[in-house]
This record gives sequence, C-alpha cells and structure tokens, in this order.
Amino acid sequence: MICTGCACLCEDIEIKDGRVLNACLRGSSLIRNLNGNRAKARVDGNDSTVEKAIKTASELIQSAESPVIYGLDTTTIEAQSLAIKMAEKVEAYLDDSSTYCMGPFVEMILKGEVPSTTLDEVREKADMTIYWGADPFHSHPRHMSRFTYYPRGKFRQKGWEEDRYLAVIDVRDSHTSSLARKKVIVRDDDDFMNALITLLRGETPSAYLKDSAELVNRIKKSEFGVIIGGLGLRYGLKNLNLLRDLMKELNQVSEFYFIPMGCHPNMRGFNETLYERTGEINRYSFRDGRSDPEYSFSSIVKSGKNDVVVVIGSDPVSSLPYDISSYLGRSKLIVVDPRETLTTEIADVVIPSSYSGLETGGTMKRIDGVEIEFKPEKEEELNDVYILERLMEGV
Amino acid sequence: MSELSPMNIYQLLPKTNCKKCGEQTCMSFAFKLVSRERDLEECKPLYEDQKYERQRKELEELLKPLESATETGMIIHPERCVGCGNCVVACPVNVSEDPKGSAIGLGPKSDRVILKIIDGKVQSYNLETCRRFGKNRVLCNGCIVTCPTRAIEFV
Repeated sequence: MICTGCACLCEDIEIKDGRVLNACLRGSSLIRNLNGNRAKARVDGNDSTVEKAIKTASELIQSAESPVIYGLDTTTIEAQSLAIKMAEKVEAYLDDSSTYCMGPFVEMILKGEVPSTTLDEVREKADMTIYWGADPFHSHPRHMSRFTYYPRGKFRQKGWEEDRYLAVIDVRDSHTSSLARKKVIVRDDDDFMNALITLLRGETPSAYLKDSAELVNRIKKSEFGVIIGGLGLRYGLKNLNLLRDLMKELNQVSEFYFIPMGCHPNMRGFNETLYERTGEINRYSFRDGRSDPEYSFSSIVKSGKNDVVVVIGSDPVSSLPYDISSYLGRSKLIVVDPRETLTTEIADVVIPSSYSGLETGGTMKRIDGVEIEFKPEKEEELNDVYILERLMEGV
Repeated sequence: MSELSPMNIYQLLPKTNCKKCGEQTCMSFAFKLVSRERDLEECKPLYEDQKYERQRKELEELLKPLESATETGMIIHPERCVGCGNCVVACPVNVSEDPKGSAIGLGPKSDRVILKIIDGKVQSYNLETCRRFGKNRVLCNGCIVTCPTRAIEFV
C-alpha cells in the first residue's frame, strides 16, 4: 500500500490484523480513518443522489460564464488531465495550492533554472543535506529516515554518524534543528543566502560571517549535497534570483541540487501536467491563454470575476484566510471530495468521491518528480476520474 | 515533568543517609532506584514521617514510567512519538538484522528487528538483542539521540 498522507508517498505501508505498519502518525491516521466523516451527495443543502448532484454540477458549469477550478493536488494525474481538459473546454481559471506553496520553486526546476534530483539519489549519494525553512519532523515525518539523513545508501554505507551531515537553516529552533550538526537561526533568508554566495565567490560577507563560513567550509568538503527548501524559504526569500545564483556557486565547488518540500501528495503532478499542456504551472486562465498572479485562486475569488467555483479534493475554507474564503459563498460552489470538510458545509453541490491512491488507482508524482503508480486492492467506482468524465459529458 | 535521573530523585529523598534501607547513602539508594535494584518502599522515613509526604508523592509520580520499562530499561512514551522512524532506521541492531529494510529507510522486512512503527507509534520487540541488554551491554544511544521529542528513554 502507498500512503498519500504527504508528498513522501511512502510505498512500504502494510496493513496487518487491522493495524497500519510502517506509516507515520500522519499517514496511519489517514489510513485508519478512511471510513469516517465521508461526504454525502447534496444539492442546495439537501441530501440527494450522486446522479442528481453530478447533473446539477454539470448544468452549473455549462451555464457559467466565468468558472474557476481549484484543488486537484490530492487526486491522480489522470483526474488532473481531465480537469485541465474541462477547464480548457469551458475557458475556466485553473489553479491549485502550489500558488501558496512550492509553485515558484517547481517552476524554476521545470524550466531548468536550478538543478534538482530525486530523493532516491539523495539516499544513495548525499553526504550533505540542508533543510532551509522546513521542519520535516512534523511536516513529512519520514523524510529524514527514508531519504536524507538516517538511511544507509549505496555510497553512504556508514550511515548518518560518519557519512552524512545535516544542517538546518530556519528562523527558529525546531525539532528538526535539534537533530542537526549545524543549526543556523536567520532573521532574513535573503541576507544569509547573500552571505553564502559572497563567501563562495571568495569575498567576505557583511553579515552572518561565522555561520556562513562554517557552513561553506563543510559544503566544500562534501561530494553530493542537497538543499531542501520548505515553506519558510518560499515565504522568507524575497529575491528568487539569489537561489539561482546560490545553486550556480554551489555547483562550482561541489555537486549540489535543490528539492522543494511540498506537502500535498500530487502537487508536483498538477504542476507538471499543466506545464506540459500550457508551459505554465498554475494560476492559468484558459480564456486569456496565459498565467498571471491576478489569476490565482484567491485573487479571482476576491475580485468576484467568477460565477461558479469547482473545488476538487481540497478544503480552501479551512486552509485559506477568512478574508479570502468568505468570498466563496458569493458564487455557486461545487465540491468533489471524499470527506466532509468546512468547504462541503457551504457548498451548493457536493459530489462524494473516493480517496485517490488509497481507494482508486492511478499515478501521482512525488515532490521530487518521481512517478508513483497506485494499485489498491479494491477499486472504488465512484472516483475523481469517473466524476470528471461525467461532468465533461455535460459540458 | 522533571527527568528521571538519580540526581533528581536524590533531591526528593530525605538526604539524611540514615542507612535504614541498607545503602550507605541516599545518593546510592537513588542510583539503585533508577536501575530498579531497589523499591521506593524500602526508604522507611519517606513513608513513616509525615513531613516527607509531598516528596513521596512527587517521587512516586517520577518513578511511574519505571513500571513500564522493559528488561533493557527502555521506556517508550507513545504520546510523544510521531512515527518518524528515525530510531527504526538508526538502530544498529535493526541495520544489521534487516539490511534490505530498515537499514535503507524502508519499513522492517525482518522479524528480528528491535523497533517497529505500528499505527504511527514506535514499539519494541526482541529486546534481548538490544545492545543495552545482558552482561556485555554497551551504552548505545542510537534510538535516543535521533528522537527530538524524547519518546524513547532508558533508565
């Protein structure tokens, strides 16, 4: 069984005598509670049949002048491709949570501006791991034990004690930083990145001299390194060009890669699927044929340009600030989700689906871009692909 | 909650070195309490004298985890564990017994491993193979230093 609790997509999960083996607390809670809090078909707040909910949703999308499709990060690539086709057909705005998450980093990787590698390569070869603005102990509990620091790799047989080095750069102490050999508390990510670049160029930085010198000395000794950037780096780094420069300089002295630390199981899949189709990774308007920050889900919903919102496998009411989510009730809202959420509570149409990957097969992309194939023992017929195909028929 | 260490226990004992327990000093009694060679009830003044009542209650609370300690003195606090598996992968016995499973970051494939994650919490098995077990034990700390929430303790 493969867990979809986070972007690690752990493939070694087993169920034995009703107990979940090997999954972290996050994954095992998801798997153990699959049957709880399931969504029920509803139209205008009243219980309905799935058929009627799909028909009503289809009519709403068909008559919409300016629909928005959002979410899709927890579903499979097959369903994402269908949603992109539907968005194209009805000239919708299309966005996912990467707008607020790792979008800019994934875009840089897909455009070849920063070098990236797979987590399997990291396990086999990395002797230097730098978590920047991330606390994987809580966000991706098995990240360190499966890929980066603790496992023995083909070229790292002596394990973490002798063969690997962990550094954590963050604005505060965290559980992950307490495990690191080198911990740097920064006030400004740009300043620290600048300090590293300056030192790597052989000059003296004006700030963070001690910390950056110590880190750069260790970097120069490493053979294969990886920077894993989390949400802290995404929101802390104001100038993305610094990351490009840093990776360039790092690769002059060693072999270094960048991997983003996305949370949703198939966010990378959505970014890559849309990139293949349009050359952009998110916040795309099929009416205008381009991507723009003003087409991000929050901007569109706030501007009131939309008349129908389709949310697939996401809960924007609980994940986005009230300032934005309060606008969701002003237009027609269709939600496709396996469970009841705050968003299904306020939806006009709720179409119950199944958990992608756990109850229905398909493919997803791990955060490092590796394709993972899901083949659950029991396939649910009512899944995102079926629902999207039915919705497509109507439009 | 204060740490289960001989010094913290000593601070709560009468510190009179009365020798009623058979030990020469209260400090020596504190060490033996932690290594489970002595029971708290053997400290007579603590139970007979009313003025030690508060300390006795604190000591009983402090020593409670010892009841669930295994043969090697391992105590697992499931409420602190997030199932990250750092200890499973770092444990040297897990690595040598299960080179194609826990050694390379995967879930254990052998039944001879010491630590496994079940329902998102770490659980211990085969403790007789733990490096802290038996006569030739060593103070291995692979599973402790890799856990930032201190879900595993040894006494």
